[in-house]
Amino acid sequence: MIESVVGLKDLFRPTTGMLYFVFHDGKLKMKNKIYPFYFSVGAIILYSLFMVIPGLLGFYLSFTDWNRYSSEINFIGFQNFALIFSKQNYWHSISNTIIFTVVTIVLKTVIALMLALLLSKGLKRFFNFHRVVIYLPAIIPMIVVGIVFRSILHPATGALNEFLRGVGLDLLAQQWLTNPNLALYSVIGVDTWKGIGYIMVIMIAGLQVIPAEYYEAAQLDGANQWDEFWQITLPLLMPTLTVTTMLNLLYGLKVFDVVWVLTNGGPGYATETVYTVVFKEFSKGRYGVSTALSSLLFVIMSICGYWLIKMMHSKELET
Amino acid sequence: MKSKNMLLKLLSLMIVFGVLITACGAPATATEAPAPAKTDEPAATEAPAATEAPAFGPGTTITYIASQDWVRDAEQELAKKFETETGVHVDFQIIPSDQYFNVLETKLEAGGEGIDIFGGQSGKTDIKLQLNVEKNAVPLTDQEWVKRMNPLSVEQISLDGITYGLTIWDTIGGSWVIVYNKKAFADNGISVPKTYAEFATACQTLQDAGVTPIYEPFADGWHHVLWFLEMGPVYEAANPGLADALNANKATFAGNPTMLTALNQLKEMYDKGYFGTDALSNEFANTEASMAEGKYAMTVNNFGLPSQIHKAYPDVPEDNFGFFVIPLADNQIWNVNPAAPSKFIYSGSKNIEAAKAYFEFLTRPENLQFMLDNEARFAMLNFEGVKAELTTDQQAFIDTYKKQGTVYQTAVNYVNPQWMDVGQVLTAMFTGAVTPEDVLAETDQRRTDMAISAGDEAWK
Repeated sequence: MIESVVGLKDLFRPTTGMLYFVFHDGKLKMKNKIYPFYFSVGAIILYSLFMVIPGLLGFYLSFTDWNRYSSEINFIGFQNFALIFSKQNYWHSISNTIIFTVVTIVLKTVIALMLALLLSKGLKRFFNFHRVVIYLPAIIPMIVVGIVFRSILHPATGALNEFLRGVGLDLLAQQWLTNPNLALYSVIGVDTWKGIGYIMVIMIAGLQVIPAEYYEAAQLDGANQWDEFWQITLPLLMPTLTVTTMLNLLYGLKVFDVVWVLTNGGPGYATETVYTVVFKEFSKGRYGVSTALSSLLFVIMSICGYWLIKMMHSKELET
Repeated sequence: MKSKNMLLKLLSLMIVFGVLITACGAPATATEAPAPAKTDEPAATEAPAATEAPAFGPGTTITYIASQDWVRDAEQELAKKFETETGVHVDFQIIPSDQYFNVLETKLEAGGEGIDIFGGQSGKTDIKLQLNVEKNAVPLTDQEWVKRMNPLSVEQISLDGITYGLTIWDTIGGSWVIVYNKKAFADNGISVPKTYAEFATACQTLQDAGVTPIYEPFADGWHHVLWFLEMGPVYEAANPGLADALNANKATFAGNPTMLTALNQLKEMYDKGYFGTDALSNEFANTEASMAEGKYAMTVNNFGLPSQIHKAYPDVPEDNFGFFVIPLADNQIWNVNPAAPSKFIYSGSKNIEAAKAYFEFLTRPENLQFMLDNEARFAMLNFEGVKAELTTDQQAFIDTYKKQGTVYQTAVNYVNPQWMDVGQVLTAMFTGAVTPEDVLAETDQRRTDMAISAGDEAWK
């Protein structure tokens, strides 16, 4: 069962074995099946140099007092994390990030799924034109989106409030970006508008691979459209939903640009997210605190990602 | 053993690869930016000597990054003349003011990213802590124009006797005062207020008459901080020696009754709607239009605003506007700030000589006069030999407020570098998320953080 212990000559010996490691008698051993190991050395070196080492360094720096004003870097244990957990503003940015992520995942998934169904099963004409129109916001630069929506959502002169007042819905005219209770949801709205096209395209691709025979068989058995959706479409779309949810989750937790261009974290601290705080701390020269926040977000992202994949993978297996 | 050998060899290979990459990168870094400053060496030796910089000629472009509103139209016109004379193009990169310092400091940390000249607020703690000019800026002490710049301006842009930047600004007429619409006041029987109570009554009268009392551009994130920190002279008058005590870490902002009074009055004004219902969306760039339309009766601005309004809206006469000091906490002292937006040459620039030539060009007497004559915002300039003509209203203000005091962002260390943070927490105060006491406590906390980071003896 156990192959030879790896030596340099084994590394560079052309073999036909696929490579994997096994532990036996406390020794690391490698088994070859298809390709020689040295094929991967370049990639491993580059990956280690540019991904693993900076990542580990980031974790280390989050336990230091690294800042712009001093050339010394001292290990300070969990002080940066203690600061993060003790200051309300940091907590607030973390809770805003989580609210943003959860709400955008739900909104983008539901709306994109509805549009995908409409544009792949509902509309019979001009569906490609509609797909393009809905996808368009995804390719508009965020800075342009920011400028346009700051103008549209201006409370006094913005197009949205002007429209609402014009049709007699004055009560609905709001201070969209400057009311602290509303601003985060306005940002979420703009981000959803920009992001659904991209998610919709992935879902259309997922819908198109579901065999039509399943629907025909279900119809013969007397299933209505609602049954088809719950019993065929949704279960078979689960791998696609896993991908889109993961994309939305990672995007949501890392959100920065849409907040930056619309509210810059304001009014006050109302729309601060983790990455806007990280950017501000970094620009103030407080690198230790800012890397600690990034590290914390990394841990949250890893836990959420792992949990999500596990949960959705088990659903896929059930189907 | 064999596996250990293999791991060792792999590790060696990675280290060799890393060294190779670093080695390949090293020469470029050495020529692009000077080595970081060592703290035990004199600052003058840290930046590259002028002679090391390459010569410039036609086709050279110098990149100048600055906050919105710092580069005036007159300077852009002068830059065109400079290009005609030398062939050197000045590329202005204007950043929205609420994001400027974050962008600038990130760029400086990243090695400059092509910056030749950068804008920054002068003031000793600002240029040391926020801009780190000893590392980031080229010393300009030997430039001829330094001798002609107002000594107060030179002091605010120098560290240990070395001048690092150029300030061309109206540091006297540039005081932030209340510019009011005289007609709106006269129509409603209001005279210039001398106390907060009179000011609040005036605001209420105007509001009742359908005029929004004050145009306050909160959206930019910096302007509303003026209401708090420009009140330095009244804080000092109530507690003589307070600025020195704050700098010696023997006093705090938290618990200061005069500051609390000013902040509570400011919050009261916001809550009563004296800034208007959509004030948080107001932008500084719309000040002239808002004041010209007559929808607003007052705003905090400089001596030059009436001229700017008249230039943009010729139907609105310049003498329709008068000036008085911000009367929070019953202030009647003229708030003066010798610090102002300034220009610095980035020490890692490849075009240091071209940038110096641009500074020399801007500071020629005829060009300074051109700047004053063509920039409505400036009533005076901080240079010798520039002739200023004051209007009747400007002169009336000077005659009324004989007593002057220095604003706290300049008088107190570690205040100006946190300007935008103060703006953010003040907005949070207006929206009810924090209290005026929190604003003062947070200001103290940020001062402490900066002072400790800077190794300030008073905080040890």
